[in-house]
Amino acid sequence: MDMIIQQVINGLSLGSVYALIAVGYSLVYSILLFSNFAHGGFLVIGGYICYFVLKGAGMNIWTASFAALIGAGISAVIVERLAYKPIRERTPVTLYMLIASLGMSIVIENIFVVTVGGRFRALPPVIPTQPVNFFGLATTSAFDLLSLVTAIVFLAGLQLFLSKTKWGLAIRAASYNLRTAGLMGVNVNRLISIVFFVAGLLAGVGGIFLSVRYTLYPQLGMITTKAFVAAVIGGLGSLPGAVVGSLILGLAEMLTAGFISSQFRDLVVFGLLIVTLIVRPTGLFGKSVGEKV
Amino acid sequence: MEDKMPILSVKNLFVNYGAIQALKGVDLDVYAGEIVAVIGANGAGKSTMMSAIMGDVPRAGGDILLDGKPLPSKSFQVVTAGISLSPEGRKVFAPLTVYENLQMGAFPLKDRSLVAEQLKKVYHLFPRLEERQGQYAGTLSGGEQQMLAIGRALMAMPRVLLLDEPSLGLAPIIISEIFKELTEVNQLLGMTILIVEQNARKALLLSNRAYVLQTGKIIMEGDSKELLYNPEIEEAYLGGKKK
Repeated sequence: MDMIIQQVINGLSLGSVYALIAVGYSLVYSILLFSNFAHGGFLVIGGYICYFVLKGAGMNIWTASFAALIGAGISAVIVERLAYKPIRERTPVTLYMLIASLGMSIVIENIFVVTVGGRFRALPPVIPTQPVNFFGLATTSAFDLLSLVTAIVFLAGLQLFLSKTKWGLAIRAASYNLRTAGLMGVNVNRLISIVFFVAGLLAGVGGIFLSVRYTLYPQLGMITTKAFVAAVIGGLGSLPGAVVGSLILGLAEMLTAGFISSQFRDLVVFGLLIVTLIVRPTGLFGKSVGEKV
Repeated sequence: MEDKMPILSVKNLFVNYGAIQALKGVDLDVYAGEIVAVIGANGAGKSTMMSAIMGDVPRAGGDILLDGKPLPSKSFQVVTAGISLSPEGRKVFAPLTVYENLQMGAFPLKDRSLVAEQLKKVYHLFPRLEERQGQYAGTLSGGEQQMLAIGRALMAMPRVLLLDEPSLGLAPIIISEIFKELTEVNQLLGMTILIVEQNARKALLLSNRAYVLQTGKIIMEGDSKELLYNPEIEEAYLGGKKK
């Protein structure tokens, strides 16, 4: 019983970090209708900024995290301006942006390989990882609880932003029809920048937690494949879908690791993806295609 | 009504889609307080003209003036300058509520009290929208969606309201209702309206003046009532003989 509760908490914790990444993916997808494969790069950028502000500048974790989130957000905006804006202004075919995003993910990865090297780096022990007793029910790590709580705070913040603010409303409108949102007087380029900033910032949060969990290296961004799978399971473009898909994935991974074998984790993940695509190709919360005229 | 200067003036407007010339030098004036209709067959370039005014498709040539000043070329600046559009096919934000759709329409307005005031006016004109304000726009009937699209465009407090095919896909009785409400929008709010319509008879009955657009060119213009009884127009756009 202890084991189940412990693995469930671990699974939710991992899933919530996936959710931070998957939500960003989905947000971008819902506006521009392409999968931004450079998304993992924002996570890596966040991780390295955090690392170097902690290590190099000797600042505390709050300053480092703040710098990491803002840095990841700004780099997402820059990537959009450099790589996607020129394309979307010329053609409505989103496939080209997808190809550009594959290119950008390689560029970002290799910028780090060239400048700081490909070795694995551990973040200084600034985030508590000691075991804690969870209400006498199970033993889990402080890190898992912290990442779970942080993810919930950021996802709730995103939800508030989308539901309560003017730009949040505009983003929801644009995710239904970007062009019509433009006709309402919304500066579409600014809206897209805001979306990328938010997506990058959330990836930055994920990046910090993932670099504590798995150490930091230029290819850490590959982990977003999991978040991508989660977003597809939940239904690409749907934010609740991305969160639910991520939690399912995190739980599936941790329960597999706990009760079957760690070796089977990825097998289960991609098995879930295939089953979803066969049973419900649009994902759990996916929008049906086509609109009422 | 006959001010010296038109509030909206389109001069020698050209629009190309690739190698195809969709508009070949369109001239059109709209004066404050009037309803101007542009009628024409499918593919004449009516919607293209609206999109060009809104900055949604690039102009290949010509000028568009609002109060004598050049209109900006980007959509969001056009709305801020004072022109808003109820687009063809309504294009309401289906997953947002009626209220949220209307708030979207007011996006360029900075002053919240102005938004609340305008919302009251829109609800007064379209009581149905107030009844359904918490409902998702996608669940509305076609006629209600059209009202929402018009109300949403009004929320920006435009100088000129553009309407692209408000009768599209609606039952005749609903069309009559919508057009009656448009008369009210014009009279109660003093709203200047530019409407493009395939339903030529309805559009001519609603408007003060009208233009006939054919393959990208204005071929005729004049008083709407005169055009209504013009034999050529009757033949080409009103289905031959009058009932």
